[in-house]
Amino acid sequence: MTNADETELAIEARGVEKSFGSVQALRGVDLTVRPGMLAALLGPNGAGKTTLVRIIATLLCQDGGTVRVLGRDVLARPYAVRSVIGLTGQYAGLDEALPGRDNLVLIGRLAGLGRRQARQRAADLAERFGLAAAAGRSVRTYSGGMRRRLDLAASLMNRPALLILDEPTTGLDPGSRVEFWAALRELREAGTTMLLTTQYLEEADRFADAVHVLDHGVIIASGAAADLKARAGTQVVDVLLAGPGAAAAAASLGNRIAPSDLHADEASRRLTVVARDGIGTLLTTARLLQADGIGVADISLRQPSLDEAFLALTSGTQPSGASR
Amino acid sequence: MTEARITRVGPSRLAEQQRERPGPGRLARDSLLIAGRYLRVLRGNPGRLIYPLLQPVLILGLFVSVLENLASVPGGPYRQFLIPGVMIQNVVLTAPATGLALVRDADTGLADRFRSLPMSRSAVLTGRCLSDAVVFFIQALVMIGVAYLLGFRVHTGLAGIAGTVAVAVAFGTALGVTCVWLALLIRDVETAERALFFPFIPLAFVSSAYAPVGRLAGWLQPIARVNPVSSAAQVLRALANGGPVAVPALHLAAWIAVLAIVPGVLAVRRWQSSP
Repeated sequence: MTNADETELAIEARGVEKSFGSVQALRGVDLTVRPGMLAALLGPNGAGKTTLVRIIATLLCQDGGTVRVLGRDVLARPYAVRSVIGLTGQYAGLDEALPGRDNLVLIGRLAGLGRRQARQRAADLAERFGLAAAAGRSVRTYSGGMRRRLDLAASLMNRPALLILDEPTTGLDPGSRVEFWAALRELREAGTTMLLTTQYLEEADRFADAVHVLDHGVIIASGAAADLKARAGTQVVDVLLAGPGAAAAAASLGNRIAPSDLHADEASRRLTVVARDGIGTLLTTARLLQADGIGVADISLRQPSLDEAFLALTSGTQPSGASR
Repeated sequence: MTEARITRVGPSRLAEQQRERPGPGRLARDSLLIAGRYLRVLRGNPGRLIYPLLQPVLILGLFVSVLENLASVPGGPYRQFLIPGVMIQNVVLTAPATGLALVRDADTGLADRFRSLPMSRSAVLTGRCLSDAVVFFIQALVMIGVAYLLGFRVHTGLAGIAGTVAVAVAFGTALGVTCVWLALLIRDVETAERALFFPFIPLAFVSSAYAPVGRLAGWLQPIARVNPVSSAAQVLRALANGGPVAVPALHLAAWIAVLAIVPGVLAVRRWQSSP
């Protein structure tokens, strides 16, 4: 069962297509996830993230292309795929009327564990996710963060080799999100491969080994977050002005810096300059602002944010541009 | 399009898929687990039993008190004729709950979780039907108790009581299976909540539940004669009062088989419509 071919790639998707009526949700998606990686699938609403995830989790059949999970074809061997994955969907996969512990045991048993095994594992996971005290209470009484952690624990009952998470942190407050990420980091250290979809760009930036940007049903960029950012543009000089007047300041710099490299935001008193000359641009900008008598509260050279990279990557891929 | 489908699941892939599909042993085990889930929910939320258990108490009490002295039938007190009919009506009107529960669960995250597990998919349906069979069982005992208080007597002893319970459970469960299929066809929860009862009202009333078929309006008689509610009521009457039970019992058994198997297979196919 575990020859080298079968375990080579955690996910291997080739030319995946899926339509719902006249809507083409996926238009030839290629995606590769190596074992042990935390891969993020990033994209705006309606990009096709959930459709792709549902195909990989054997909840939907694709119209074309192939998907293999740990070497198992999702259409030919759905049960073999299901025995190695865990799914944390967009909506909690829990029975609200049952206690947390019963949910875990039921899901463990349905995944194939024996009664004793399932109880033991449920107790361990409840402990690990800080739910031991609440395990006897019905899920109805849980907070959003507890529910999400229980849902994650349920996905781990069968010790999946691949954990699939569809927008797992949506709707969580910042504290719960931090806790949730700590749990995912721990899992990655233990060797679990993960594919998650998210709209929180900074999460993908901070935690993912690889980021795949999905837009209008195609992957438009793949790579480490840092690579994506580098591909999307050079560094920027970020200026926080001491007072209002960002537009005026930009106008006065416009003589000596290309206006297309300048961006002023009046509301946040912020001025950004594309740093074509790296630190040189920072020094020039600082000197020019000083010469014009414009007060500066802060000035720094930074990588473009993933938001900026994302916008730069997606702006060129309207449906007309990418249709075949 | 056709070509894509053929390459998608060719014969060898289908064979492979068949081999890995969970077998009957897994279906039985997972059905029991799912049934256990619903029964545990009932234990924690006994309010959910109000409808299936209190409704027959009310309907039996009210209908029998109101109607008891209005009519008479040959061969014994009207009460002995009426009560089996009303019992079966209660069973009929309880059955839609099975379908409603499943359609309510179908679009939740939990259904997705079940579909992503290497479990028997049909078990989600059979498990619910099984747990509702337990509800029909309890309902039958409650009805027999209430009927006793209303003066109803089963003259064939323990065997008659056991037969009555068996008819209620088997007929109710078969109708429950039919409701699962109907609910999955309707799909929309609110529509199902309102529409699912409609076929059951004529089913319950165009029958010999209140009066022998011969006393119904002429055009209703052929419908009432084939209606399984009539045969179920006749079986219960035969069990209570003594009398030939074989013919209505065979008629009923055939209906139960048809109602459980045909919609059952269709419902499972609908439920499994992903890989």
